[in-house]
Amino acid sequence: MANSKRKSSKPTTTRPPQTSAGDGLTSFIEGLRPEFLQQIEEDVADRLARIPTKLNEFGYDPWGLDIRSVQSAMVAATVLYRYYFRVEVSGIDNIPDGRVLLIANHAGQIAIDAAMIGAALVLEAEPPRIIRGMGEYWLPTLPFVNEAMVRTGSVVGTPKNCRDLLGEGEAVIAFPEGVRGMNKLFSERYKLQRFGYGFMRLALATDTPIVPVAVVGSEEQAPGVANLKTVARLLGMPAFPITPTFPLLGPFGLLPLPVKYRIHFAKPMRFRGDPDDEDAQVKRKVAKVKGRIQKMLDKGVAERQSIFF
Amino acid sequence: MERVLITGITGGQGQLIAQHLLASGRGEYRVYGVDRKPWPGRPREIRMTVADVGTRKFEDVVRRVKPDCVVHLASVRHFRVHPAVRHEVNVVGTKSLIDFAVEHGVGQIIVNSSSYVYGALPDNPYYMDESFPLSVSRTYPDVRDLAEMDMVATAALWQHPEVAIAVIRPVNVLGARVNSAIGKYLRREYVPTVIGFNPMLQFIHEDDLARAFATAIRSRARGVFNVAGAGALPLHAAIPRIGGTALPVPEIVLRTMVRTMFQWGLYPFPPGAIDFAKYQCTLDDSRFRETTGFEPEHSLAETFDDAHL
Repeated sequence: MANSKRKSSKPTTTRPPQTSAGDGLTSFIEGLRPEFLQQIEEDVADRLARIPTKLNEFGYDPWGLDIRSVQSAMVAATVLYRYYFRVEVSGIDNIPDGRVLLIANHAGQIAIDAAMIGAALVLEAEPPRIIRGMGEYWLPTLPFVNEAMVRTGSVVGTPKNCRDLLGEGEAVIAFPEGVRGMNKLFSERYKLQRFGYGFMRLALATDTPIVPVAVVGSEEQAPGVANLKTVARLLGMPAFPITPTFPLLGPFGLLPLPVKYRIHFAKPMRFRGDPDDEDAQVKRKVAKVKGRIQKMLDKGVAERQSIFF
Repeated sequence: MERVLITGITGGQGQLIAQHLLASGRGEYRVYGVDRKPWPGRPREIRMTVADVGTRKFEDVVRRVKPDCVVHLASVRHFRVHPAVRHEVNVVGTKSLIDFAVEHGVGQIIVNSSSYVYGALPDNPYYMDESFPLSVSRTYPDVRDLAEMDMVATAALWQHPEVAIAVIRPVNVLGARVNSAIGKYLRREYVPTVIGFNPMLQFIHEDDLARAFATAIRSRARGVFNVAGAGALPLHAAIPRIGGTALPVPEIVLRTMVRTMFQWGLYPFPPGAIDFAKYQCTLDDSRFRETTGFEPEHSLAETFDDAHL
């Protein structure tokens, strides 16, 4: 195995190489790791190496991104991307260089859609980009989740964080439907819920192009039957979805169905105007973005033969 | 020659500022100090009086010295005294010092506040600027006097437009001489942390902070200023860098443990401090950099190298 060979040929090792139980186990697991996983690791590493980052001497960027965490998260995401959701992407060349705001539909109880868009930007965009997600306000309060989110490039979705990241020329993704979309019921699938206006005010203030994104597939991955708002309030959660498998099977009940993902990126839209316009003015601009996404969704749903293939 | 009076001069930061002024100013500054305890072995050029801020003896020093600038460092940051004492010294003491100094023609007052005044809240954006509300008492009421002290000083800014008042809010200070809360926390052999949380922390080298004060004096900067060092890194990366071992504990256990141990005097921080090990409180220091031209000289790695006692 390449790994153990490299270790024993290290010039500093003069005494016979000691093999501890831990070492044996590690190389055993290494050996078990299928070829395709090694291939994915290399692919991801090659792509990530092409992305400029602003890491300090400890390996973190100012928002807590750590490229090692991005690498491991991307390996997992790529397995899902290639083999589970078999993602198909169109129009990814529409993403302009420099700062850009990706606006997408949100569904499926857990943010797989964000992960798949992120994976698409690393694996398929030219040049590859690391997407910066704008997280829900309660995510920072969740143990482990808060850290995983920050290390892989997302931040809590405050206007200031968004403005700063756009100022650094990053690609930021936001889901203006928020929880309303994420936890929508199955009967509401592919019907965009009310959009927040914040993203448009930020785009106007920073003169950032908006790329509308439509994700087809995510809205069937975990069909919501009900959303128990009272239970959610009691648990301090933004929503408490009921799906055929959740909460019946516990947290695993949120695992998504192997639907086929199709992600469509539209041409960038540019808006001009006063970021401090009253809501009615901003609403008109928001409606244009929402309309574009809805159109792509309708087309994508009509064109596909099956939810799963 | 400019006469600078430093309150709390025997503390690590006070000594560093005094020495920095003497070394860098080439006879530009004459340094006077007051503190509750003497400073044995202090440089001969520093004239020192043992007195409490707010006493007649202290006022007499101000009348005699007629300082051009007062640097106010004297405040109680530990919890070994009754909260009323902290309030008396930090809030009432600062207020009376500013009033007395202004009345006696002092043209420049620099007050040492803290980054903690913003509070560590889950929805804090990264890199908050000076306009963010001082929210620390929401989760950490034990240090509300620090926020009040800060507000006393900022109120003086508009009460006395003719005086160059600067309120300095430094991030976590590290160094061999300064006795900071973060130093006390990180230098423990086992550093208690909350499982699943790992916020980004900003650090500044004690020499850089001394230079920042000197820069504030020289530039006669007026206003409220965040002061930061070279960068930020996660708590769990900082702990081993100092030499300790992180001891991650479930939050509910940690809170009980800290509350009990704090009551018995076995742990130096009340449970409210735990939030600073959960959520980030990172500051945007661009206003200070742009107003004064200040740049930290020490990298993050050097800041940690020099933090060992």
